[in-house]
Amino acid sequence: MAPYLGNLSLWLSLFFAISQFFVSKKNKKSKFITISVIGLLISSLISFFLLMYSHVVSDFSVLNVFQNSHTTKPLLYKVSGTWGNHEGSMLLWILVLTIFNYFIFKLYNEKNSIFISKTLETQAFITAGFILFTVLTSNPFEIISPTQADGLGFNPILQDPALAIHPPLLYIGYVGFSAAFSISIATLALENNEKIAWHSYMKPFVVAAWTFLTIGIAFGAVWAYYELGWGGWWFWDPVENASFMPWLLGTALLHSLITVEKKKSLQSWVLLLSILAFLLSVVGTFLVRSGILTSVHTFALDPSRGIYILAFTAILGGYALVLFGLKSKKYLNNSYFSFFSKEGSILINNILMVVVCSSVFLGTIYPLLVEAFTNNKISVGEPYYNSTVVPIMIPAILIMGIGPILSWGKGDKSKTFKKIFPSVLLTAIITLFIFLFYQSYSLIGIVGIVLAFWIISNNVIILFQKRENLSNGMIVAHLGIGLLILGITGSSVWQEEKIIQMKVNNETNIKEYNIIFKEINEIKGPNYFALQGNFFVYDKNKNIITKLQPENRFYPVTNNFTTEVSIHTNLFRDLYMVLGEGNLNDGWIVRIYYNPLVIWIWIGALTIFLGGLISMNSNLKKLQRLS
Amino acid sequence: MLTKNFFLTKIFILIIAICLIQFFSVNSYGVDPEEILQDQKQELRARNISKNIRCMVCQNQSIDESSASLAKDLRILIRNKIKEGNSNEEIYKFLTDRYGDFILLKPPIKLSTLALWFLPFVFLLTGIFVVFWHNKKSKKF
Amino acid sequence: MRKQLLILPSIFFLLILLIFFYLLIIDRNPSELPSTLLNKNVPKFETESLLKEKKFVSSDVFGKEIKLVNFFATWCKPCRDEHNYIKRFSNQEGIEVIGINYKDNSQKAIGWLKELGNPYSNIAVDKNGRIAIDWGVYGIPETFIVNSKGIIKYRHVGPVTKKIYKKINLIINEIE
Repeated sequence: MAPYLGNLSLWLSLFFAISQFFVSKKNKKSKFITISVIGLLISSLISFFLLMYSHVVSDFSVLNVFQNSHTTKPLLYKVSGTWGNHEGSMLLWILVLTIFNYFIFKLYNEKNSIFISKTLETQAFITAGFILFTVLTSNPFEIISPTQADGLGFNPILQDPALAIHPPLLYIGYVGFSAAFSISIATLALENNEKIAWHSYMKPFVVAAWTFLTIGIAFGAVWAYYELGWGGWWFWDPVENASFMPWLLGTALLHSLITVEKKKSLQSWVLLLSILAFLLSVVGTFLVRSGILTSVHTFALDPSRGIYILAFTAILGGYALVLFGLKSKKYLNNSYFSFFSKEGSILINNILMVVVCSSVFLGTIYPLLVEAFTNNKISVGEPYYNSTVVPIMIPAILIMGIGPILSWGKGDKSKTFKKIFPSVLLTAIITLFIFLFYQSYSLIGIVGIVLAFWIISNNVIILFQKRENLSNGMIVAHLGIGLLILGITGSSVWQEEKIIQMKVNNETNIKEYNIIFKEINEIKGPNYFALQGNFFVYDKNKNIITKLQPENRFYPVTNNFTTEVSIHTNLFRDLYMVLGEGNLNDGWIVRIYYNPLVIWIWIGALTIFLGGLISMNSNLKKLQRLS
Repeated sequence: MLTKNFFLTKIFILIIAICLIQFFSVNSYGVDPEEILQDQKQELRARNISKNIRCMVCQNQSIDESSASLAKDLRILIRNKIKEGNSNEEIYKFLTDRYGDFILLKPPIKLSTLALWFLPFVFLLTGIFVVFWHNKKSKKF
Repeated sequence: MRKQLLILPSIFFLLILLIFFYLLIIDRNPSELPSTLLNKNVPKFETESLLKEKKFVSSDVFGKEIKLVNFFATWCKPCRDEHNYIKRFSNQEGIEVIGINYKDNSQKAIGWLKELGNPYSNIAVDKNGRIAIDWGVYGIPETFIVNSKGIIKYRHVGPVTKKIYKKINLIINEIE
């Protein structure tokens, strides 16, 4: 029953999306458009929850549930398993699209009906495109007959809370950019005689998209850190890059929108950026689902689905960019500004973000290009991105320190230097202190620390000085970036590792800690068996710090083996332990990492998220005043 | 209740679990202690080379951190070659002769990858050019 | 000049999409690696033979007729799945199949072949996997075609399926 209703609801949502597309051409908030928007929202909600229901009750007549679930899967993961597969994740995309569609609809007022209608028309096209793709190639409500007794299970390493919430957060990001995209199209396509402040409508969506994309990426990284067991959290995988590129353009967009708001400059640039940010999100979707490349993240798919997505991207992007090429002339502004000003620093930020994004894009598609033109296959891995992306980020971070305190228009150099002198001093002192204390001569480490504390000191000082004209959201978000850099630097540069074979009752040392292998146990989880090592960690005063309990798990349903890392965290370092192979006679191979400052990565990401939320709140208030 | 039967049953289950894991799992979890070379300089070389070699049977790992059997074989092979006196270039050539450029995580610098290595600088220079061009125009005001 | 620049993004965009489109429609396997040994000589090696007394010497075995080379092991399930196709190859006129037993227990291998049938005219024992590394093997089973001059002409990674079986036969006919 549920899958039939779900399928019906899905087709109904397609109907509403298409009707919204046509009805919005009437350019007013008519009854019909209201029905379309609300109908679209409700039908997509229904189909999404019906799929979730099928997963939760383990209805294996539904092919999607059979392929991805199992009766022994814990409830939380039955729920999140709804979107943990290709077809189900498309329903999540559609749901978020319809929700944002509704938000755009709510913006209608007496003055902007043509503008909002055009925005809704574009949004309807996008939504219809996604729904059509889903019903034609990836319908989650397909039935299998006869019904099997149980499902094929689910990859155990994906059964994790961080990973469960990762896709919804990311999709809010991508869909937020779709709203910005639609607003850009509406701005370009219309004459705009009503002088609609299109940028005021775009900003809240961009801030929301960027904020959630940030935290979505962070959850993916934290999952990789504690689940994959090699102490790392970013591999420059094509799919990771696919989320990073819209983030970079989103950062640029966030900043240049301020310039548009305050100075009416960089308008055509912002219109282009908002198109590109969403296009990159769609291209990312393409890379993940088309089967054009393999990655640990890709859904296993066939090229025919890829062709659909490519065609959709071509139509959408082609239309948008040609429209931009033809119509953006009237937004070309001849207002110039000094290099040494807030606009100047925002321009530099934008350029650097775009350069980094281009390099990441180049590195991501280059193996595909090489394969297309030669018969060779190459890898573009971390060393490439470290050599290209990291050096470009350094000036961007430096500018981030003084940008906020520069004034609009030509800045007074001496006055500015007076303003930033406290933070320069503070940064120098802290760096010197750390240099002396840790006695590390790593250049990249020192650079990282300098950058981190440069940002942290600047923003902490701004907070204390209580500047009225500076947005709190910005200060908090920038502070978050500083903390993030601190964490990234510490964990990459000063990581220490020890690999050793230990028998029960053996002990070993790492840094100031003494670790004793107390015992090995077998334990049983809800859908797995595990071998668990128990290690007691002592500090140099013989006080017990913690018990580390790494495991090796076996999931009988999917025949998978996984390792569960054991981590002890504090503000200064993570102690990270992996249990390897072994037996009672020879002992077990144990890998211990000492990862300095890792927690600051997550604290930094949360702080950025908080800053984004603060900014979203103030932007929404501005939007309400507009209506 | 720590009866004798209870204790024995636990040991039995423990042994079964260990056997199961032994039977199915792929060997190590990154560099094994027995692989580690005595000479610290050589070991560091081995680690650095390994970090640049893709694990062919994993997704997104170098052979330095991978638990796969092929990764371990290649790690041992690299260490043997270092002990035999081969240079880094010779070792990389040995591997790419057999597995192609794909096995290198740092893309090689050859004709086909010239664009890959140069374009980021081109992008940056274009960016800097735009900044200065804009600045020049602004000075006119 | 500024106005013409505005059309640039759409051109780049179109170019990139064309390349993606091209990659989608050609017949390629994104996870399979092209062999670097194609059109090169068979690697030289000498090792034990699984079933024969005499040592397996590559220069004696290759360079006379067309040979198929199949890397296999008893612990590898896809090797079991493809075994019938390997037997079909060996039953064909003019084709000999050489087996290379990869990182296996020799006794187990002999038993496995007794149970499933032995299609190999000779089997090299690759105890530590070094021979496989020399052949650029990364995911067994792998099957190679070696021509009568000892040049490697084709490699397939993964089990031989119906489609691959036909393809290999086609290539062998072309080489003849």
